[in-house]
Amino acid sequence: MRKFLLLIVFIIPVLVQGQTQPKREVIGRDIGQLKNIRISGRLIDEITGDALIGATVTVPEINLTRITDNNGGFELILDRAEYNLEFRYVGYETVLYPITAVGDGRISIRMIQEDFQLDDVVIFGRDPEKNIRSTDMGAITLSMNSIKELPPFLGEVDIIRSMATLPGVSQVGEAAAGLNVRGGGADQNLIQFAGAPIYNPTHLFGLFTSFNADVVNDVTLYKSVIPTRFGGRGSSILDILPKAGSIDRWGGDLMLSNYSGKIGINGPLVKEKVSIRGGFRGSYINWFLGALSNPDLNTSSANFYDGNLVISAPISDKNEFTYSYYTSYDDFAFASDTTISWKNNSHSLQWKSRLSDKLSLDALGYYTQYDYGIFNRSGINDFDLNSGIVDFGAKVFAMYQISETNKVTFGGEFKDVTLQPGELIPTDEQESGLLPKKVQDEFGRESAVHFQHEFELGEKIGVSYGLRYDMYQYFGPRTVRQYAENQPISDGSAISETTYGDGEKITSYDGLGPRGSIRYSLSKSSSIKAGYNKMYQFIHLISNTATIAPTDVWKLSDEFLKPQIVDQYSLGFYNNFKGNIFETSIEVYYKDIQNVVDYKDGANLILQNHLETELIPASGRAYGVEMFVKKNLGRLTGWISYTYSRSLRRVITPYEEEIINDGDWYSSNFDKPHDLTLIGNYKVSTNTSVSATFGYSTGRPVTFPEAKFDYSGNNLAYFNRRNEQRLPDFHRLDLAINFKLKGEGKFFDGDWTFSVLNVYARKNPFSLFFVDQEGSPPQALRLAVLGVPLPSLSYSIKF
Amino acid sequence: MRKIILSLLYVGIFLGLGACVDPYEVEIESGAQLLTVDGMITTDPGRHSIKLTRSDTYGSVFEGLIRPVSLATVLVRNQDGVVTYLTEDSEVKGNYLTPEGFAAKAGDTYTLQIQLQDGKTYTSLPETVGNPVPMGNIDYYSVEFPVEGELEPESGVRFVVDVEDPSDENNFYYWRTENAMFEVNARPDLYMDRETRAPAPKDCCFTCYLAESVGNRSMFIATDDDFNGLSTKVTAMFIPDDGLRFITTFRMDLRQLTISASAYRFLRLVKQQTELSGSVFDPPPANIRGNMISLDDPDEVVLGYFMVAGETNERMYIHGADLDYRQPLSLIADDCRVVVGAEENPPSDWNP
Repeated sequence: MRKFLLLIVFIIPVLVQGQTQPKREVIGRDIGQLKNIRISGRLIDEITGDALIGATVTVPEINLTRITDNNGGFELILDRAEYNLEFRYVGYETVLYPITAVGDGRISIRMIQEDFQLDDVVIFGRDPEKNIRSTDMGAITLSMNSIKELPPFLGEVDIIRSMATLPGVSQVGEAAAGLNVRGGGADQNLIQFAGAPIYNPTHLFGLFTSFNADVVNDVTLYKSVIPTRFGGRGSSILDILPKAGSIDRWGGDLMLSNYSGKIGINGPLVKEKVSIRGGFRGSYINWFLGALSNPDLNTSSANFYDGNLVISAPISDKNEFTYSYYTSYDDFAFASDTTISWKNNSHSLQWKSRLSDKLSLDALGYYTQYDYGIFNRSGINDFDLNSGIVDFGAKVFAMYQISETNKVTFGGEFKDVTLQPGELIPTDEQESGLLPKKVQDEFGRESAVHFQHEFELGEKIGVSYGLRYDMYQYFGPRTVRQYAENQPISDGSAISETTYGDGEKITSYDGLGPRGSIRYSLSKSSSIKAGYNKMYQFIHLISNTATIAPTDVWKLSDEFLKPQIVDQYSLGFYNNFKGNIFETSIEVYYKDIQNVVDYKDGANLILQNHLETELIPASGRAYGVEMFVKKNLGRLTGWISYTYSRSLRRVITPYEEEIINDGDWYSSNFDKPHDLTLIGNYKVSTNTSVSATFGYSTGRPVTFPEAKFDYSGNNLAYFNRRNEQRLPDFHRLDLAINFKLKGEGKFFDGDWTFSVLNVYARKNPFSLFFVDQEGSPPQALRLAVLGVPLPSLSYSIKF
Repeated sequence: MRKIILSLLYVGIFLGLGACVDPYEVEIESGAQLLTVDGMITTDPGRHSIKLTRSDTYGSVFEGLIRPVSLATVLVRNQDGVVTYLTEDSEVKGNYLTPEGFAAKAGDTYTLQIQLQDGKTYTSLPETVGNPVPMGNIDYYSVEFPVEGELEPESGVRFVVDVEDPSDENNFYYWRTENAMFEVNARPDLYMDRETRAPAPKDCCFTCYLAESVGNRSMFIATDDDFNGLSTKVTAMFIPDDGLRFITTFRMDLRQLTISASAYRFLRLVKQQTELSGSVFDPPPANIRGNMISLDDPDEVVLGYFMVAGETNERMYIHGADLDYRQPLSLIADDCRVVVGAEENPPSDWNP
């Protein structure tokens, strides 16, 4: 029955669209002309009457596209037939205009400005065939426009969560913060905002992404063949670019939703020269909690905010400086005695320059910091636990455009990383049973040089090849243990220690990362591409859990923990049809991962000075096939993405006690073979749209006990082979309706969005666990994060 | 730390997401009946016990009953080949006891050897007895935990030991309680006839003594990695307040055991499993590997651990009146001897 309902939800908009097709116009005087029918016309703005210059006029039936001239005019030469003309212009609603051409004639088309986010990037606005013609593989840019049309989560548009709707990208569960891209761990994604790495962009343990969508211009995910200018992580790069303010007029926006509110303002600091944009979002959950009568809840707090500032100075046609600041903060306390807080801060300064018609340069410097703390004020052994990461670095990137189809890019970068893995400070030393403890700080430097060459060989073949050389050094001050050979690394096998001085090199790694792809065009609207990619990763998330937690520790590669090396091979077929209205692709990939971190059973990772004693080197592999169908234009837009994939791990060491599942390949925590997403957005009218998202995936792997046994009065579970069972399958439907209130003039046009998540109230298990609690038999329990249909309402205005 | 781990659930509750934890039916294959060893010998003279059971299907007692393994030959052997046989307790099946007054010697290495009735033989890996570490001052105080949805917080008594850690060795500590007993206070003078509900005061008895086994389900363990050679305070025990124990006087022996590194690792895995909350921040289920192996079939899995330990212990009497917070006292309006196991006279070593 549910399946039937789902079907209806997706089919109704299609049917409705069918019913509301505009009536077919007969153009020309019918004198029996069969060929060379000349139809001319003009495109104008419905309200101002201005000519629309540079708009596209497409005749999908014969794959003909024309661009309007300086007067908004165009001319088509057609045979006698029925056609479905399409008129498109950035910032305007697309007009579909069915005609029957019987003789020479003239048409006039009035286009209406799109109310939805005028200043958004439209994915294929200027180059609808980019996916077919370029040599890029697995690079997906989602415009804010597309993301904003998805049903929001708790009233908020979520950039990172939206990525999980794309093929090959998944999340562990409903409250998981990280992304798993093509079978990689959550730490294998480099998330960068304005060029600076961000370590934990989440609010409330991953329920929200801490990027404010209103200050983001666009988001690009690279998951297959990654341009050589990016590196340092194994699986993907999520490049988020901030939006500059307007250089000619002041404006702003305000949004209120169930749990948070945000305000943004932008405008010219110096007219036509320097713009500024500021955005702030804060939660008011604490107000709700304070109003509750439950003493546990009203002494609890859950507070977050994030803020952005972008100053952009296009000082000439050729030079532009942009400064971007990003901050996010969270604190969370349950019943007031233990508070966890985490914050990100990042600054970046970018200089873009066009040195000549052919040569452009992009230089960027950044400083980024992530800190978390746990503050225990329970009255017994009170403590502060602090941890942090500081990165600063610079990048230079140059592009030399030899011709329109031939360009070379090259550049270099370096990054200094300082990790403070943890410091425990007892706050009441007299009474406390705790002793102060500090884990040694870590110092590393990553640097890289890279180049890439893209060119075309005739009409059919495009080639892109490049090389990135990554270098990494690990420095003192640090005391490093040596361990006895032929024994597992453990506290017991340590034999000596060496102390390294400030800045003294302890170990280093380097590696060549070739990357390349080739495209062969089968036709104007279809192509085949193949690619290869090699990545190195020198920083590892030390987390024994399924997802990223704010309190997770990061670790730099050292002499025990080798860099992760990822080799990826991919092959894809791309086809657009109906004049690029539909975009389809199938990609297959195989990925080999070396030096993944796994953990000894019961590993102790917090405040651990000798992490090498708790880690086991593992290898990983992942493979899959991804299918994607997207409808870019029309009243109904959206996509279907389906992925079949596997993500496996294997641990083989000489020591039996470290081996997992007898050395066989086993499912990683995020191995979800079937993953289907359906997304539809239907514009009911110019000011109302309805959207739906349905997701289905195989349940993630879990380990069931093979037996129970008795020890010290506890009924314990005997777990043997890891990850051989699965949670029940995941599926959920979300719906949203968005409508605009038309105000007088341009002021106070409001957007209302009402959404319901988990429409049919499925309790998707986040995890299953096995407990022996006093007073009840040992049993399996299910944790569901979202258990009810969850409505939310938000209101936003632009001014 | 547990509170942090539970945070995700609380976030879900805060935001009205309908987050919940509820029992879930899963189909679990019928479990293997694996030999399980639970016991230790220590440097404290006495009858030390080794319990042998068989594992069964995970789930309630009705699905798989953990059965004792009876009629086995059980012995410990030291590095010099000196053998001590354990005899099966006549009252508790599967419980094997050393002779009266047996004490392991610090620095000696022991193995546990088992021959079952069917002839299968098992041995432990060698375990070396650590030096006992004297216990310093022991503090205790009541602690409360607010419980969601309950007006009264849960509470109990926490014991904090001053550990004077020796600097010349890596020590692993394990604390247990034994010989717990408390004074049961009843009001036979308030007794009412069950049928007529009419007062029917009894003369006896107001005070009884009840021995109980309490407190060893939670694991209290520590390593001196962070305090080697120093003196520090460590939480060594927690006894929940059930409204009866702490009315007047509660007694227990607190045992401080120094165990091997691998025994510590085993207990850490047990502790980790007993503290799972099912959140995303939980570590994955771990295979709790013990130190027993089958001599007939190297692939046969044997569960549990044979421990050896250096022991120091201290008898403590806790007076309810000294506690800052106690659960509402439960009233027994009857002869205290109606409480199962309660004795009218205190044992000879009751010396508050």
